[in-house]
Amino acid sequence: MEIILRVLAQNNTCPVLLHSCKSRLHPGRYLSFLTIIIGISLGPGAQAQPANGLALSGVVYDLQNNPVSDVTIILTSGSGKKSAQTNLRGEFSFSSLAAGSYELLTSHINYQSHAQVVEITSGKATELTIRLTETVQQLDDIVITGKTQTQEVKEQMIRAVVVDTKVAEVQPATLTELMNRTAGVRIRQSGGLGSSSEVSINGFQGRAVRYFKDGIPLDYLGDGYSIATVPLNALERVEIYKGVLPVSLGADALGGAVNMVSKKTTGVAADASYEIASFNTHRLSARGSYAPKNDRWFVGAEAFYNYSDNDYIANVRLGNNVSKDLRMFHNGFESYYAEAFAGIQNRAWADELRISLAAYAIEREQQHPAMMTFPYGKIMGKQRSVIPTLRYKKSAFNKKLHFDQFLVLNTIVRNRIDTAGGSYDWYGNFTRVSGRVGESSQPANSTVNFHHFISRSNIRYHVNDNNELELNVVHMQVKRVGSDPLGPRFLNTTIDVLSVPAYYEKQVVSAGWTLRLFSERLTNNIIGKYYRFGSRGTDAWDAAGANLEDEIVHTGNSFGIGDAIKFQLNDVSSVRVSVEYANRLPEQDELFGNGIWVVPNFKLKPETSLNVNAGYRLAKENITLETNGFYRKTKKLILLIPTQPPFAHYVNLDNVNGYGLETDVMLHNLFRFFTLSGNFTWQSLRMADIDRPQEKWKNETRLRNTPYFFANLGLSANFPKVFFQHDQLKPYIHYNFVREFYMDNIPREMEPDGFLGLFGTAGINKLNLVPNQHLISAGFTYQPLGSHYTFGFEIKNITDSDLYDYYRIQRAGRSFHLKISYQL
Amino acid sequence: MKYPTIFLRTALLFCVAAVTILSACSDDDKEPIATGSTKYVLVTMSDRANSNKPGYISAFNEIPSGNISNITATSLGGFGMGGWRTYENWIFKMFDVDAYSKAIERIAVSETGVVTVDNSILPDQSTFGSGNFVIVNETQGFYWDAASPLAIQKFNPTTLQNTGSINLASAVNERGTDEEAILFRAIGQKFLAVKNGKLFTNITYAKTNGGQKGFFDDFYEDVYIAVIDIATETYESTTVIEDTGSIAYINENEMYDFDTNGDLYVVCQGRSALGTKSKIARIRANSTAVDQGWELNFTDYNETDKGKFVGVFAKDGKLILVVNTEELTGGAAGNINTADIWKFYSVDVATKVFTEITGIPAGTNPGAAKAVVEIDGKILLRGSTNTEATNGYYELNGTVATQLFNVTAGGSVSGFYKITLP
Repeated sequence: MEIILRVLAQNNTCPVLLHSCKSRLHPGRYLSFLTIIIGISLGPGAQAQPANGLALSGVVYDLQNNPVSDVTIILTSGSGKKSAQTNLRGEFSFSSLAAGSYELLTSHINYQSHAQVVEITSGKATELTIRLTETVQQLDDIVITGKTQTQEVKEQMIRAVVVDTKVAEVQPATLTELMNRTAGVRIRQSGGLGSSSEVSINGFQGRAVRYFKDGIPLDYLGDGYSIATVPLNALERVEIYKGVLPVSLGADALGGAVNMVSKKTTGVAADASYEIASFNTHRLSARGSYAPKNDRWFVGAEAFYNYSDNDYIANVRLGNNVSKDLRMFHNGFESYYAEAFAGIQNRAWADELRISLAAYAIEREQQHPAMMTFPYGKIMGKQRSVIPTLRYKKSAFNKKLHFDQFLVLNTIVRNRIDTAGGSYDWYGNFTRVSGRVGESSQPANSTVNFHHFISRSNIRYHVNDNNELELNVVHMQVKRVGSDPLGPRFLNTTIDVLSVPAYYEKQVVSAGWTLRLFSERLTNNIIGKYYRFGSRGTDAWDAAGANLEDEIVHTGNSFGIGDAIKFQLNDVSSVRVSVEYANRLPEQDELFGNGIWVVPNFKLKPETSLNVNAGYRLAKENITLETNGFYRKTKKLILLIPTQPPFAHYVNLDNVNGYGLETDVMLHNLFRFFTLSGNFTWQSLRMADIDRPQEKWKNETRLRNTPYFFANLGLSANFPKVFFQHDQLKPYIHYNFVREFYMDNIPREMEPDGFLGLFGTAGINKLNLVPNQHLISAGFTYQPLGSHYTFGFEIKNITDSDLYDYYRIQRAGRSFHLKISYQL
Repeated sequence: MKYPTIFLRTALLFCVAAVTILSACSDDDKEPIATGSTKYVLVTMSDRANSNKPGYISAFNEIPSGNISNITATSLGGFGMGGWRTYENWIFKMFDVDAYSKAIERIAVSETGVVTVDNSILPDQSTFGSGNFVIVNETQGFYWDAASPLAIQKFNPTTLQNTGSINLASAVNERGTDEEAILFRAIGQKFLAVKNGKLFTNITYAKTNGGQKGFFDDFYEDVYIAVIDIATETYESTTVIEDTGSIAYINENEMYDFDTNGDLYVVCQGRSALGTKSKIARIRANSTAVDQGWELNFTDYNETDKGKFVGVFAKDGKLILVVNTEELTGGAAGNINTADIWKFYSVDVATKVFTEITGIPAGTNPGAAKAVVEIDGKILLRGSTNTEATNGYYELNGTVATQLFNVTAGGSVSGFYKITLP
């Protein structure tokens, strides 16, 4: 209790957490966070409070922070043994214990056993918080809230890969790294910490993949809460959906979605971490929450901070065929995120009413344009927002009807500053150029406000044990208005293009029916979706003063349908098939352009895709295996193409057909201590139906800038009692391989001859080729004396290999990371 | 003793089979083409959906015929394949292969036909037109670098090294210094030509200072061309093309040409990207001033003036041009780049009569590509359509064109040239 209050007090008074980025990046700010951690970990609240008698009590949670009932707790001391079972709240207790050392062991059919040594000291009451990991960790399925975990496992039908962030949260790892170790998933990250990232799921990428936080579309959080910035400690897990999306994620995703599930508030919880790493990298996170035993209310806060100079060495071109390894000099990133929340729960009129206020700020130095062609030395991008949200949940009719409502209204302010008036070289030398305003071809001092309103309503009705109905409605509005004294003007006017508002809204209505038959061995989920979008604004391309008040309104709608079916073959294996016809609506900037180089196209239609997935899953005690095949036929991809030079516009252009296979295997308890995991993804995504005569040859060529084979191999171990009686050492090593891929379409006959294209090299000039990449990282975590602290150390890219993103942007070489974590 | 014999035979058989199988696995298509001292070099732009203009350059031992692919094991693949500029046996691109940076990048072709990047100059990247260049001889050339917008840079084309600059601020500031609406000034951004020891260079007076500065944003309705004496590196005079705009453009297509008699013809695209007041002006061989007595206006072709000239090829008193057959439109549904509306005409300089060239269909806007080249004494026309399977070069005889070859893989043709290897 004291611990939590202490954390909150510091959060509320600490200016750092809510500090807006008004100045250039400043690495010293992390020190204040460090103070918090030290405060949490060393303060008087860090120890259990004295109580009368020798007793032991605790609560058992699963990884979703749900209390786990019916767990058998066995307490052994010498020849003596006592046992207890957790109640519905996950609580257990022992009394009349003698002082001494006890071995505690948990047992539950659906969870891995947990063992720890407990010291019972005279004059102290000992309270424990135990988190159990489900039998299968790496691969899991969608969680349907409101059910017990056992039921959830049984009812899974829509496939999701779950990245268990809890398992790795004490490691100095990033979320993007964890996701990159997942079958079928690749992260395109253009540089170091904080650089723009996007997920590729079975070849779907860019806007075809949608992002969520706790089931809500992430648009309102801008870059403040993204896979590039969120620390693992802030998340319970990340769900990655391939193919059919559940009804609750109402979105116009074309075939993939990422749902970041934040930690839930149950009982007393607090954790904090600090990571220091190469390239002057500092990452801090702190989180605390409290709910009384009666669970009638809760309160909490979380915050995280990222800073890195990202000044790694890259090979840059200096001209005249001269290139050199130089250190990046304007590549830094800094971000703050803080959120305070409170709510009431378990009331007659509300299962949960949660109010949250979050704020974030980001500063990002831009070292180079989209490709690493030449340096910038002063161009900055900034972003900030204050975000109030409301969430209300209520069940009725004997918990047959569940209602979940989310609302947010906020403004994201984006700035771009390019006013240096000259140019930089790769050594960081500046040359002022007379008459030059900025560095890039588009100087800017812009402030653009994006006003967001999102409403998400979800209703689920449990008809009976075999039938369940669900309806989800997402309404999203965005208004863009801003100014840029250095930006473009409407033709023949002095009117700032950004000063004229542009509006965009969309609705996605999803309805689903879940059917369970044959004692729930067969489950089926059929989903229908209705998509609508509307946009209005001024045509910045044709407008010539007189037309500025004539708003153009453009609307469109479409339908989608999907079905997911799963059959449980026996207790340990199942098969699953899903089919979906999905839509991705055009976005506001695709319709209206950006007022600079991208001109409007009001004739855009939604992208569509037919996705089929089929998979087999085996989950036994010491082995988990999942293999999945997919097929997709995507039409009318929205691509940016040049129009009247130097302008470009978005058009519906290409079709892509593809299929692929991914397999993930995990062997547990190898030689007692080891876990071996591996996966591979092979996919053949190829251009199709191109009828433009000059480009017909591209039919059957691979989708450019997209890896077609990648694999991971990992070995981890868990050694207890290494140096002391109660410590724990967990070393690990990960290897990641990405097969060569191509930055342009190359004829099929030029592809490597080897089996499935896995061997040899393409018969093309290497400039169009991103070569094979090997990444080896290794580290360990160490938890001494069964304490609340964990130390993590990792060397990333041990071999200092050349690594690239999808567009051959160079990524960091070898780096060293140290992390200390505290968990209550 | 039988056992070893059988073993040896089996092993030998296995080896022969393995060699045979491995040989069969090799791809003949990827063998380098045969050696030769003369190469015919072809560039194609493979993706119209990519503003970095990816594509391929391949070398052939002779002028290709029939259907061909421009992607081979010896091809150079990369960006900036919209066109090129040539000088003697050199080929230069204005956007580099590696990343579409603005550049003066020379392409090399080996005896075996392997195409590679030779060397390059990387100018300032902030402004379009940076790297616009002209070559005088093997050791002397000029280019514009946005880092010094009021100067002309000198360079050695052999070594591709900058050798200094000529400050021409005084020439630029002869007019408009009090005009607040002029936000950007430059000299040499869009037009550089060399004739009789003089360097001709356009002066930019632009109404914008953003990403498009210098393009379709002329402050004046006349185009100003400064004349510099190359030997003394001194500014001599300024000559004017009246009542037009947008001289030439930024890409490899210089949009000017010298007639056989040395007369220089220069394209002005007009008031906007869609044309209007587009014209071709002339500077006679023995003059440094625009010939005010002659100009070819777009209205000489189409009285409605709904279009523009996008290039010129001059020979023996004839100009070969491509002009739009329909009114130009921009935007998402515009026809300017993707529609097959650009048709070849032969124009008699003396009479200004337009004669349609037959045998080649109307195609897409050549853009950075040169629509007409002369190789081995043959005049070759670029024929590339969006709706038909026409994509190659045509030989012109009189006013009739006949297709020489058609490219089926690699993208739309954007340049063809002959070089002799040293």
